[in-house]
Amino acid sequence: MRPDVPAHPHAMQPSKPGSTRTAPPMRPAKFPAGGNYLRYMLFDATGIVYMLAGLVALGIVWQLGNGEAAWAAQMQRLSNPIYVLFHLVCLASVIFVGVRFFSLFPKAQPPRIGPAKPPPAVVFFVGLYGAWIGITALLVAVLAGGIF
Amino acid sequence: MSISIEKHKKTFVVTRFDPDKDEVPKTQTYEVPCQDDWKVLDALNFIKDEIDPTLSYRWSCRMEVCGSCGMSVNGEPKLTCKDPIKSYGDTIEVAPLANFPVVRDLVIEFDGFMEKFQSVKPWIIRAKEKAAEEGTYRQTPAELDEFKQFSMCINCMLCYAACPVVANEPEFLGPAAITLGHRYNSDSRDEGAAERNQVFRGEGTVFSCSYANECSEVCPKDVDPAAAVNQAKFNAVIDWATSLVLPRGSK
Amino acid sequence: MKGLLLRLEPLIWLIFGGGIMVGTMLLTGWVAVVGIGVPLGIFPADALAYDRASMLGSHLIGRVVLALLIILPLWKGAHHTRHLSIDFAGGERDVLVAPLLYGIASLGSVLAIVAVLRL
Repeated sequence: MRPDVPAHPHAMQPSKPGSTRTAPPMRPAKFPAGGNYLRYMLFDATGIVYMLAGLVALGIVWQLGNGEAAWAAQMQRLSNPIYVLFHLVCLASVIFVGVRFFSLFPKAQPPRIGPAKPPPAVVFFVGLYGAWIGITALLVAVLAGGIF
Repeated sequence: MSISIEKHKKTFVVTRFDPDKDEVPKTQTYEVPCQDDWKVLDALNFIKDEIDPTLSYRWSCRMEVCGSCGMSVNGEPKLTCKDPIKSYGDTIEVAPLANFPVVRDLVIEFDGFMEKFQSVKPWIIRAKEKAAEEGTYRQTPAELDEFKQFSMCINCMLCYAACPVVANEPEFLGPAAITLGHRYNSDSRDEGAAERNQVFRGEGTVFSCSYANECSEVCPKDVDPAAAVNQAKFNAVIDWATSLVLPRGSK
Repeated sequence: MKGLLLRLEPLIWLIFGGGIMVGTMLLTGWVAVVGIGVPLGIFPADALAYDRASMLGSHLIGRVVLALLIILPLWKGAHHTRHLSIDFAGGERDVLVAPLLYGIASLGSVLAIVAVLRL
């Protein structure tokens, strides 16, 4: 395996050309779907899912504001297999994003902000996953009729 | 008394490019009798010494400290002096580092890297230098720990060869340059963070990084440039937020 | 446009970061119930009957949560989709792609606030 797909023609190009002709830069060989790049691509691709999720949620909330008949129609639409499938993909995406991001989050904290130092990584894990599980549980309880 | 060392033949498929003769790079195949404990660099040196003296490549220390011998080995950026051949099968493909223009054979043009590197002002910046009579700058071990890991970079450029953003955005400063700028921003002796954050938020913006983490995966010295770049984003945001409230120059 | 994008980048990154963290946390429960649980009958349908949904949505906390779970994923999504576009289509088209995506996120954010205020 070798890098043989061109990268941007000016990738890493110096401001002044050298004294001899150079061959153009090539992209990393395993990009975009080989090795670790696949996980990274999926992570970025969840962007599309999140945008659609936001827009679908907007539509749902909008219909709630349009009255009972509109809401009933919206609920009907949500039972359509396409919507259910989309939301299953959505659920898989948010779990994937959460897990990947929370594992990358601790090392992205600067060593110090003013006088404050970040807590040890385990505090972040417990805090982030705890908040995730807690918020999800609360939201499910509220939305599914458990409380209120 | 003679010692016989077992050798196994491996096939090396090596990129060749002579700008005076070749339109585009091509490959050349060499059969190399390799000792089991060899690194890829040993095989390249064998090729140059015994088979084809025209092969061009950079190398120096042979012990993973100089950063000269970075190349693409079976599609991944590696320090060839560190990379054992026994982790590969019978065929090994050696190519120049990805994302860089190629000068000749396995030699890449790295002036572009040097420019990005110097643009982050990788030195201690002080508003006023201490007079010699006042003694040296003092630093606690805890203060050293805040940036020490990021000072371990040997400028081997493997991170640039792995970064998908470097492949697509020519102005991006890149992992090593940002890491080094962040190293100085985190150094208690330095007072140049405001200046460097201007560079970090300029054309080469740190925010182009999309946290692929590939740079840290390939770094041979465990510098973790992805951590540095993302910490630098955080600091750049704080710098931006304070610049909204405080006029520039009050730091 | 490039200069404007550079100047706005720290702010976009902050909202995108919020989108990844808080947006992900909120979306999980929302999708699990509204998108999957109720339509598939795992949760009772009258949990989301109009009267109850209206009551929950028109509460101050309900409005805030609904607005956040629209706005934050939109910005996370726009930012990552922009990066995906750069990775595949190159950096040149970014001057068109970025304003388009952030424009959709901005419009969606405004509509989200209008939508929750209508409840």
